[in-house]
Amino acid sequence: MGQETQAQTQTSASPALAPAPTPSSATAPDAAQPLSRGILSRSRLRSIYKAAISILLALVVTSVLFIITGANPLVAYYYMFYGAFGNTSFLIETLVRMSPILFVSLGLGIAFKCKVWNIGAEGQLYIGAFLGAETAIFLGNSPLALPASIVLAILGGMGWAAIPALMKTQLGINEVITTFLMNFVAIDLVTWFVSYPFRSTTADFPQSATIPASAMLPILIPHTRFHLGIAIALLAALPLVYFLMAKTTFGYKLRVVGENPEAAKYGGINVKKTIFLALIISGALAGLAGLFEVEGIQFSVMTSLSPGYGYTGIAVALLGGNNPIGILLSSFFLAGIYNGSVNVSIQLGQPSGIVSFIQGVLIIFVLGSEYIMRFLERKGVFKR
Amino acid sequence: MPLFNFFLVESTAKNQPIGDSMAVEDTVKEDKTQVSVSMANPNYAIYVEGITKTYSNGLVANNNVTFGVLKGEVHALLGENGAGKTTLMKILSGCLSPDTGSIFVDGKKVHIDDAMKAVKLGIGMVHQHLSLIPSFTVTENVALSIPLPGRLKLDIIREKIIAVSKNLGLEIDPDTKIEQLPVGLRQRVEIIRLLCQDVNILVLDEPTSVLTPLEVDELFRIVRGLKEKGKSVIIITHKVKEALAVSDRITIMRLGKVVRTLNASNTNERELASLVVEGFVPSTNGTKGQPGELALIVKGLNVKGNSGRLAVKGVDFLVRSGEILGIAGVAGNGQKELVEALTGLRKTESGTSIMKCCNLANRPPQFIIKKGVSYITEDKMKRGVILNLSISDNLALKCIEQEPYSKNMIVNQRKVESRAQDLIKRFDIKASDPCANVSSLSGGNIQKLMVARELSNGSILIIAEQPTAGLDVKASEAIHTKLLELRAKGVAVLLFSADLDEIVKLSDRIAVMYDGRIVGEFLSGSLDMQRLAKMMLGSTT
Amino acid sequence: MTGLTIAIAFAASCVTFACPLLLASLGETVVERGGILNLGIEGAMLIGAFSGFLGAYFTGVLWVGLLTAMIGGIASVLLFGVLVVRFNLDQVVSGLAINLLASGVALYFLRVAFPGGGYPHLNFLFQPFAVPLLSQIPVVGPIVFNQPGFFYLAIVLVPIVFYLIYRTTFGLRLRSVGEDPRIASYVGINVSRIRYTSLVLEGALVGLAGAFVTLSQFNTFDTRLTTGLGFIAVSIVILGRWNPAGALIGSLIFGSTEALSFWGTAFLTGPQASSLAQLLTILPYVTTLVALVVGGRMSKGPSALGAPYAKE
Repeated sequence: MGQETQAQTQTSASPALAPAPTPSSATAPDAAQPLSRGILSRSRLRSIYKAAISILLALVVTSVLFIITGANPLVAYYYMFYGAFGNTSFLIETLVRMSPILFVSLGLGIAFKCKVWNIGAEGQLYIGAFLGAETAIFLGNSPLALPASIVLAILGGMGWAAIPALMKTQLGINEVITTFLMNFVAIDLVTWFVSYPFRSTTADFPQSATIPASAMLPILIPHTRFHLGIAIALLAALPLVYFLMAKTTFGYKLRVVGENPEAAKYGGINVKKTIFLALIISGALAGLAGLFEVEGIQFSVMTSLSPGYGYTGIAVALLGGNNPIGILLSSFFLAGIYNGSVNVSIQLGQPSGIVSFIQGVLIIFVLGSEYIMRFLERKGVFKR
Repeated sequence: MPLFNFFLVESTAKNQPIGDSMAVEDTVKEDKTQVSVSMANPNYAIYVEGITKTYSNGLVANNNVTFGVLKGEVHALLGENGAGKTTLMKILSGCLSPDTGSIFVDGKKVHIDDAMKAVKLGIGMVHQHLSLIPSFTVTENVALSIPLPGRLKLDIIREKIIAVSKNLGLEIDPDTKIEQLPVGLRQRVEIIRLLCQDVNILVLDEPTSVLTPLEVDELFRIVRGLKEKGKSVIIITHKVKEALAVSDRITIMRLGKVVRTLNASNTNERELASLVVEGFVPSTNGTKGQPGELALIVKGLNVKGNSGRLAVKGVDFLVRSGEILGIAGVAGNGQKELVEALTGLRKTESGTSIMKCCNLANRPPQFIIKKGVSYITEDKMKRGVILNLSISDNLALKCIEQEPYSKNMIVNQRKVESRAQDLIKRFDIKASDPCANVSSLSGGNIQKLMVARELSNGSILIIAEQPTAGLDVKASEAIHTKLLELRAKGVAVLLFSADLDEIVKLSDRIAVMYDGRIVGEFLSGSLDMQRLAKMMLGSTT
Repeated sequence: MTGLTIAIAFAASCVTFACPLLLASLGETVVERGGILNLGIEGAMLIGAFSGFLGAYFTGVLWVGLLTAMIGGIASVLLFGVLVVRFNLDQVVSGLAINLLASGVALYFLRVAFPGGGYPHLNFLFQPFAVPLLSQIPVVGPIVFNQPGFFYLAIVLVPIVFYLIYRTTFGLRLRSVGEDPRIASYVGINVSRIRYTSLVLEGALVGLAGAFVTLSQFNTFDTRLTTGLGFIAVSIVILGRWNPAGALIGSLIFGSTEALSFWGTAFLTGPQASSLAQLLTILPYVTTLVALVVGGRMSKGPSALGAPYAKE
């Protein structure tokens, strides 16, 4: 009888149940079977399909906007694609646009992985940029200006995120509300700073003084705006975040806390510490995003520093499945939408607002993509 | 004392040699007691035919089930965990819809789309996990299920509750909040609620699982009262003894199928047992442990419950290595809070919990885990596992920070996975791949996974809460065997279980918990079941 | 005399600013009692304000604006409702998506409707309505009884919503769904129907709140007019302990801070005046955050608030 044999296996296996499994017993040769998992495993392929379906549907829904205004959606998307990736200079501009989005969304990926909904990246970006830039201005044209500004931008973003993080971990206050409200405080504060106490004496509009030359990020591709910050995003921030999430115990804790905080606590994980760290790391990266916009592109802190990168980061992190590689691809895509929409506006006289609209629709479809995928699998469009 | 008879017989029955039940199988003759059933028979309050239900994960919970309940009878639905009893009853009460099959109420074919419809047809269910809103009063809870649109007419409902409870001799204060009632009374509220809805067929899902022996007797008295009033009662149970004690007829289910329906008067315990569990079940007998040095000393422990009142009141006890201490008691008498305080999941107001000269009270769980305390939790879905993470990640939960699984914060994925492979094998977890999500496992295998993790990390104290919840007899036996083996190796075990049989079978000593206190203690050799039963209800004599 | 006049005018302004917050937080109280955390209220209010403005502008009839505002609010909230009730998607993220979507829609269609650029104005508004006799009471009269009709409606709604939640069968079911939707469905309550009903109610109230901003408080539309109001309303619900009376008190407090930041320039004098006045814009947000720190800790909401619930 099959079941009886199982019972016997259990009993015969039980002597192996030593109180302390030694390292050698855990690595018994027969136990360490190689697991066949390629780079494109089935589950990974499935999440790529899901992202692609979400993008496709978001573009279809957005074409309703074009149709309403009498524009041909295909033409509009052609201009959008052209404006984003049509030639080398457009492509480089898209990469320039991608840099702050990538920084923000890598951080948000960490926060979202442990289900901490930091929607305050916009404010953290402003505070980090302002603190970092003012540090550089304060230090003047010295070699210290750039590194010091980076440190201060990180601390600024972290510090600003630490406030809602403490409110969440110590008092249990919903971080969505606090991080969002703190965006207004941050933007209004920075606006006030550059309008009054730190206002440039020479500029016509409220903005800070210009940062010293030593703090300006070097241009890596001549005659473009491709600055060092983009390289740092791609070659330092991205691999670092990937490593942190995939290979470390911190990444493991993020996953456990995100999926089941009760189980995390039960399993001996310090849930509050993990949430706190996730929030301030995302704040730090948002701060860097803002600083590199100032030091690579704008050279002084303006009230219009960010067109909403903090919110775009939300859509990007979700579309990328909180996975650094996915985030890289989706931040490139959304940077393309940003720049492409500008081109659509110029060519077809389309009003602004397309970017927010696409982001909203995109998030909805990303959330619903599991449903859509299952529906398609039932219909036999995709194999289960 | 007829009240206790039922209980005593059960415990002696457990000690009978198993060979007997094998012999019984042969003696079961032609099914003379089987009642011929027909849907046309107007005596059936409810009759189901050919019910099949397959869950989305592929589990066939009901396979072509046919059975009927007569008017004014108590009918027991008997079977092991996972036999499909609850699924069948959820179908009858409108909580689930069947894939195929027909349901006849009073001889008429009906479709039961939701719980409201079921109630209209006169079918009501008391779920195993009671379905009352804790922060509502009795009246409000009853009002929820009585459709009176517009203004909330609580006075009418209150009067009805009083009338119904008087009629059956069930005392209840309609204005108490449910969270202030003990479990036994909550169950009573559920029954009253169904009666207020003029239900004719009451389904009780494992109603005795949370009750003390005395409360069980009280419940059975109520059930007989209902029968006298002409109601049909279906009792779902996995305890043969209880099925025999209360019902007129018994239907046995196994692996989603109806095995047989018998008249209670024409059968006996052995026959039923052999029908419920197919084949030979090895039973570990209550062997003795060899207590060694003190493993845990708990002194004057005070712990607050969620309501802010003290739930654990000055508890003292000690556990030695190589010993199993069973804590008996009705759920809700402070056990949960005690366990959470011992494992660092809940703040301790005062008192100490000392292990190897180190006070564990108010230390975080990570500290207590490192000291060598394992905890098999009752809330396996909520707390014990992370459903959307892989099996290997789940098994690594408590050791991820230790070498060789990680070093300098860097995880060694290969070691984590090979450990998972090893545990899957040793604990007979039915899983395709250690990288599969835990959500793909069945409830029983999830339980095994959690037990595997907790029993394999070299702990010196194991706190086990309902360690065999949701497992069939064989898997339960395997876990009992493992606990006893660990005891033999000098591990101390603190066992909490709602199943008194389990406690009696495994424990060297049994402490009784009532109202946040340890009210008595027995050595397993000198166990006085009558006193134990009384103590569980707070009686000191 | 002038001091008192200014004080009265300021107090009246506090009440006026409280009005949209009260309408929105009453709506949010109802849905949160049913276990749904709707952060999309921010976007719904924007759409309410926008659709109300469009309706009034193009028909020239204020009441039509009121109707279109409610339709806009209900449509936005129902879209959110379909996502979280029908598809059981994450409530927080769905709310954020609605907000982004709403701001995209408002920005885009503002320019579609008024291609010339600039901000269109209405030359008619819902004027304050002086209640006969009562508005003659010194001090209190001009503050409380000389307000737009929205205000009286919102005040009347406080006891009505209270009655709805605590004294009707619907309210009892709503609360049970918010405590434990699984149990509620076991006793035969149609969880989805209850939740959709509460969402429609919220949509109407939030639409009205938006309409108040564009059809009574200001006579123009700008996507920034309602910014942050939705989130402040959600905070008010928390601080008001999910009780309509609490929502009333909270709305008055936060309305005052908004009035203060709005009136900053009028009160402040001296060389730093414009600087300080600009700094005052953070006041409502900072007050909300501080209030959450002080009062948000102890409040325990409906047990199932924000939790996903899928039918078995």
